[in-house]
Amino acid sequence: MELVNVKKTIGKKEIIKGLSFTIHRGEIFGFIGPNGAGKTTTIRMMVGLMQLSEGDVRILGKSITTDYKAAVREVGAIVENPEMYPFMTGWQNLMHYARMIPGITKERIREVVALVGLEKPIHEKAGKYSLGMRQRLGIAQALLHRPAILILDEPTNGLDPAGIREIRKYMRKLAEEENVAVIISSHILSEIELICDRIGIIKNGELVAIQGVHDKDHADESAVQRIVMEVKPVDAATRLLKEQFQITAAAMDGSSLSFDENKENIPVIVKALTKQDISIYQIGASNGTLEDKFFDLIGENIIE
Amino acid sequence: MNRFLKLIYNENYKIYIRKSTWVMYAILALLIIGGAFLTSVYGDVDKGYDANWREQLEQENEQLLAENEGYGEDEQYLTTYNLDEIEVNNYYLEHDIEPTGYGAWQYVLENAGLLSIVSLLTIIVAAGIIANEYRWGTIKLLLIRPISRTQILLSKYVSVLLFAAFTLLFVLGFSFIVGAVTFGVEGLSPHILLDTNTGLEYVSALKQIMTEYGYGLVNLVMMATFAFMISTVFRNSSLAIGTAIFLMMAGSTIVGMFSERSWAKYILFANTDLQQYAPGYTPWIEGMTLSFSIMVLLVYYIIFMALSWIVFTKRDVAGN
Ligand SMILES: Nc1ncnc2c1ncn2[C@@H]1O[C@H](COP(=O)(O)OP(=O)(O)O)[C@@H](O)[C@H]1O
Ligand SMILES: [Mg+2]
Repeated sequence: MELVNVKKTIGKKEIIKGLSFTIHRGEIFGFIGPNGAGKTTTIRMMVGLMQLSEGDVRILGKSITTDYKAAVREVGAIVENPEMYPFMTGWQNLMHYARMIPGITKERIREVVALVGLEKPIHEKAGKYSLGMRQRLGIAQALLHRPAILILDEPTNGLDPAGIREIRKYMRKLAEEENVAVIISSHILSEIELICDRIGIIKNGELVAIQGVHDKDHADESAVQRIVMEVKPVDAATRLLKEQFQITAAAMDGSSLSFDENKENIPVIVKALTKQDISIYQIGASNGTLEDKFFDLIGENIIE
Repeated sequence: MNRFLKLIYNENYKIYIRKSTWVMYAILALLIIGGAFLTSVYGDVDKGYDANWREQLEQENEQLLAENEGYGEDEQYLTTYNLDEIEVNNYYLEHDIEPTGYGAWQYVLENAGLLSIVSLLTIIVAAGIIANEYRWGTIKLLLIRPISRTQILLSKYVSVLLFAAFTLLFVLGFSFIVGAVTFGVEGLSPHILLDTNTGLEYVSALKQIMTEYGYGLVNLVMMATFAFMISTVFRNSSLAIGTAIFLMMAGSTIVGMFSERSWAKYILFANTDLQQYAPGYTPWIEGMTLSFSIMVLLVYYIIFMALSWIVFTKRDVAGN
C-alpha cells in the first residue's frame, strides 16, 4: 500500500498536509499521533470513505480513486469504533458482511471467529458485547475476505492489557503467516510499539518521522540507545563516564545511572568501570529513545 | 446480479429481524381483525338471499317504505338511507342480478383505507434505511466493500419498495382470510354493486380492488421516495418521518390553500390522486390532464432519486 502526497482539506482547513509512505506485505506499521492529528481522517481516505483532496492511495498498485472496487477488495478495516448491528448476533453480523463479497464460506467465518476467540458469545446479540468483544468482532469482520492489508484504527481502545497482548499475538501471526500488511493507529505509543516493525508519527496532519522499531536490536548497531546501569558507587561511575567517554549521565533513584550511548560502545564502558572497582549490578537498554523521540516530536501538539 | 440480490437480502434481513417491524405487522393485523369484528357487529351485513330473492327484495322494499312513513321531518337522513337501499334493491331486480351477501372480497375492498397505514409504515422504513446506518455507525463498514455506493443505495431503495409490496400483500391476504372466516366468501368471480358518481354500477370485485389499491399506490411510492430522499440527505430518520407524514396528511389542504394560484397544479399533491381523471370525477384544478399529472409525478420522482443518489455517492463519510 502506498500513499502519495495525500492531502485533505475540509472547508478552508487543511487537515492532512501531504502524507507519503509505503507499507509492505508482512509488515506491521504503527500509525501514531496524538488525538486530532489526522489518523482517522487518513484511514478514511485509505479505505475510500472520504475523497482525497489531492494525491493518491494505491493498494497493490490499484488506485482507490480510479479503481475503487479492485483496490478496496484487498482491504479489511475498522474505522474508529467497531460498530455492529446491535440487534443481530455476532454471527449474523459476520454473515451480513460475508454476503457482500463473493467466495466467503461458513468455514471461513468459523475460522476467523476462532482466530479472534469469539466462539462462545458469537450467537449472542452484538448489542450485549463489551467494547473488547466488539473490537474482536470488528477484526473478524475485517479479516473475512483475506485482505492483503488490514487497517485497524485504535484497536486497543477499550481493551484490557490481556486483550491488547492477544491482539498483538494474532497481528504478528497474520503478518508472518498470511503475509498481510497491518496498519495500526494509536495515540498511545507504548501500546503498539511492541508489535510494530515500523512506526510513522503524525502530527497536525504531517508525517514527522518514520522509524523502524527493531533497528536498535539488530540492523542498526550504531543507533543511540538509552542505557540504564545500576552501579556502586554512583558518583565514581559518573565521574569516570564524564572523563573517559564524555558522557553526561543522569543519576536515577540513588543507585542507577542513565545515559544515551551506542550499543557497540557498552563493552568498552563496562571494562573501564570494572577496572576502577566499580560494581555493576544490572545493565539494560530501554526503549527510552523512541518514546523520548515521540514526545520530542509531538510535545506540543497544537492544531491550528 | 446475484450479488445485488444478496444486497437486497441483507437489507430485508435487517428490516425483518427487528422487533419494531413485527410490531407494525401486529398493528395491521389487529386493525384488520378489529375491523371485521366491528363490521360483523355494527355494520349492515347482508345475510344473503335464497332462490326466492326477488320476492325477498320486494318485501324488503315495502318494509323500508313503511318505515319511511313513520319517520318525522327531523329524521331526513334515515329516510334517505332507506331510499338508497330501495334503489340498490331495484337495480338488482331491474337487471335480474341475484345479490350476493357481504363477504371476504368486499371486506378486502373496504380495507383499501388501510393503504394509508401501509404508506405510513413504508415511510418509517424508508426514513430509517439509510439514516439508521449512520446512527448505528455501521455505514462505515457497509461502504468499505468492493461494491459501488450506487448499488448499495439502489439495494436499499428496492428493499423499501419490497417492504411496501410485502406489507400490501399482507393486508390483502390477511383481510381476505379474516373476511372469509367472519363473513364467508362470495364466490370465485365476485361482483359488487358500486355507488359511483355516475350512478349504480355492477362491477367485478377483483377489478375494483385493484383499482382502489392501485390509485393509492401512487401516493405511497411518492411519499416513500420522498422520505428516502430526506433520510439520505439529512441522515435523520425522525426528520424524514415527520416531514413525509405531515405532507401526506396536509397534502390536499396545501393544494386547497393555493388552488387559486396559477402554479398550484405543479404541487406534488395536486397530482398524486390519479382517480381525479377517472370517469365521473373532475380534476382538482381545471385544465389538468392525466398525462400532465404523470409528467409532474415523474419530474418529482427523478428529483428525489437524483438528490439521494448525488448526496449518497459523493458525500464523505466522516464523523457522526
Ligand atoms: N468532518 C470534519 N470537518 C472538519 N474537521 C474535521 C472533520 N473531521 C475531522 N476533522 C478535524 O481533523 C483533525 C483530525 O481528526 P482525526 O483524523 O479524527 O484525528 P485522530 O484520528 O488522529 O484523532 C481534527 O482536528 C478534527 O477536528
Ligand atoms: Mg481517531
